[in-house]
Amino acid sequence: MSAIHLKNLTKSFGDFAALKTMDLEIADGEFMALLGPSGCGKSTTMNMIAGMEEPTSGKILFGERDMAGVPMGRRGVGFVFQNYAIFTHMSVRQNLAYGPRMRGAAKAEIDRRVCAIAEMLQLTPLLDRKADRLSVNILQRVAIGRSAIMEPAIFLLDEPLSNVDAAFRAVMRTELKQLQRQFRQTMVYVTHDQLEAMTMADRIAVMDHGVLQQVGTPLEVYNNPANVFVARFIGAPGMNLLRGRPAESDRGLVVDLGPLGVTPPLPDGLASTVRAMRGDVLYGFRPEQVTLAERGLSMRVSFVERIGARTIVHLGEGEGAVKAVFENDVGLSVGQTAVVAPPASSVRVFDATTGVSVKAG
Amino acid sequence: MKRSVPFEIFRYAAIFAAMAVTLVPILWMVSMAFKPIGEWSATGADLTWWPKQPTLANFEFVFGHSTNDLIVALDHTALKPILSSLLSAVFGTAIAMSAGTAAAYGLSRFGSGQNLPLALIQLRLFPPMAVMIPVMIMWAFLNLNDTWWGLALIYGIVTLPFAFWLMKTFFDDMPREIEEAALVEGCSRLRVFTRITLPMMRAPLASAALFVFILNWSDYLIALLLTTREWVTIPVYMASLSSSMTGQLYGAKAALGLIAAVPPVIMGIAIQRHLVRGLTFGALKQ
Repeated sequence: MSAIHLKNLTKSFGDFAALKTMDLEIADGEFMALLGPSGCGKSTTMNMIAGMEEPTSGKILFGERDMAGVPMGRRGVGFVFQNYAIFTHMSVRQNLAYGPRMRGAAKAEIDRRVCAIAEMLQLTPLLDRKADRLSVNILQRVAIGRSAIMEPAIFLLDEPLSNVDAAFRAVMRTELKQLQRQFRQTMVYVTHDQLEAMTMADRIAVMDHGVLQQVGTPLEVYNNPANVFVARFIGAPGMNLLRGRPAESDRGLVVDLGPLGVTPPLPDGLASTVRAMRGDVLYGFRPEQVTLAERGLSMRVSFVERIGARTIVHLGEGEGAVKAVFENDVGLSVGQTAVVAPPASSVRVFDATTGVSVKAG
Repeated sequence: MKRSVPFEIFRYAAIFAAMAVTLVPILWMVSMAFKPIGEWSATGADLTWWPKQPTLANFEFVFGHSTNDLIVALDHTALKPILSSLLSAVFGTAIAMSAGTAAAYGLSRFGSGQNLPLALIQLRLFPPMAVMIPVMIMWAFLNLNDTWWGLALIYGIVTLPFAFWLMKTFFDDMPREIEEAALVEGCSRLRVFTRITLPMMRAPLASAALFVFILNWSDYLIALLLTTREWVTIPVYMASLSSSMTGQLYGAKAALGLIAAVPPVIMGIAIQRHLVRGLTFGALKQ
């Protein structure tokens, strides 16, 4: 078992900086998701952990051991690729047995491991099938089995569920989590799908443009995003952010939301920090936490998405647009005016210039 | 898709015309190979579509110096030219494929510059005649003139760019992750190439090899310049099948042509399963 430490890690391809300084501590046995849009550097980070790419600078440590110059075959990691990378000229059994065979395991040992992993992943009836005639779902199961068979201390998964269909994805999410509970490996899971990250990961590392934005438990990044990027990226739809100007009033410091004509108070404890900033702020709240109210933001309904269990109501336009998510249906239609308000406890404030979350000082 | 009747008629007419253009000469050759001299000779008195009196006299002639029907006799039978063609084309293909595959793999996986592929294809822009005279001189110096191995060597060199380009496209299309998956499991680079990459590339390898073989097999110019007597190939030998008395020996040529068509056809059938997959390799995203 092994912890992973990334220290001042950078990676450039020519002039392009794919990763600009990454510091991340992944604990032994932890399930860490690297989450971000495509091109954010998450796969580059993963490839460097696996040893497929050499870092431009910085260090990777597995436990106490520096991985610089250690070839990927000697790192003792399992790797599952997005396109499964199955050896199609071999049978399922040969694919699963590949790792132990390469490491010179005895035949009895290989058979024992293959049977165990096949049983666990429900591949036993398919063991002697040629791999090129299997469905995408099965191929990804074989790929997971092939990487898991040696019970590597570190298990790396690069968007393993992107190519499989939605129903199977839900099944695999549960299975992967169970797999990890059983073997207690350190898992690093690259994905752009926040649902996968939120449901499986112990902690999520949110990345954008080669920069680590925030590391935290799924609920931490959802409830207390470190900056505007994380606020918008996590959640579907993302957090509402309204630009406002701090203003003094007899109720204390409030935020003047300009054209919306309302001046909600700031959350407790933020006033002194905001006063010291001397600039505009972004007033943020989750669409799911919005409720219909007597007083609040009075806005025109511009679009209504009814998706069964939930209804997403789009309010206002342009910079000042807000989305509200209601359970079940809601009696609003396009053109009407709705008055909505977020509960005071759910409001988050960001510095409009830097985009960084404003914390109580 | 629903098409109108006139369009369908036109479509089938066009297909028929295209097939006629390609198939009639082949059928003509097959038919001619079994005709007695009277039916193919230059006088054309009894020129017919199908042989009236089918005979194996033409085959007898090319393999046995002479036949009762013909007044001329041959110095050499077709056996040695067939052997020469087979040896030079097979070994030439082996040289082109092994060097081309290795170069293509190296460049596809580890190459940085893009000059080599272009330089290689530029070799093909030279008119062969322009380089063949210097090659003749070099080959004479190396004592390679009029040998099958000399011919195999130049075939390997000349078709190397084709082998290289075909294989490079195939390697570029093969997902690298498959090799990386093997590397992560502790497989060595060389072993990845021999045990994972090459077996998975069977289909592309087979179709590229067939393509290169046909190029070598049907060469005339190079063999004409580099062989004189001992190791002439089928096309060169075929050109010599004429005499001052009878003119062109069309029947004998047709018989030889029919024999020359056999190896590519056999190879094509043998790898048919791979051929379609090989040619569509890039289209099948894994």
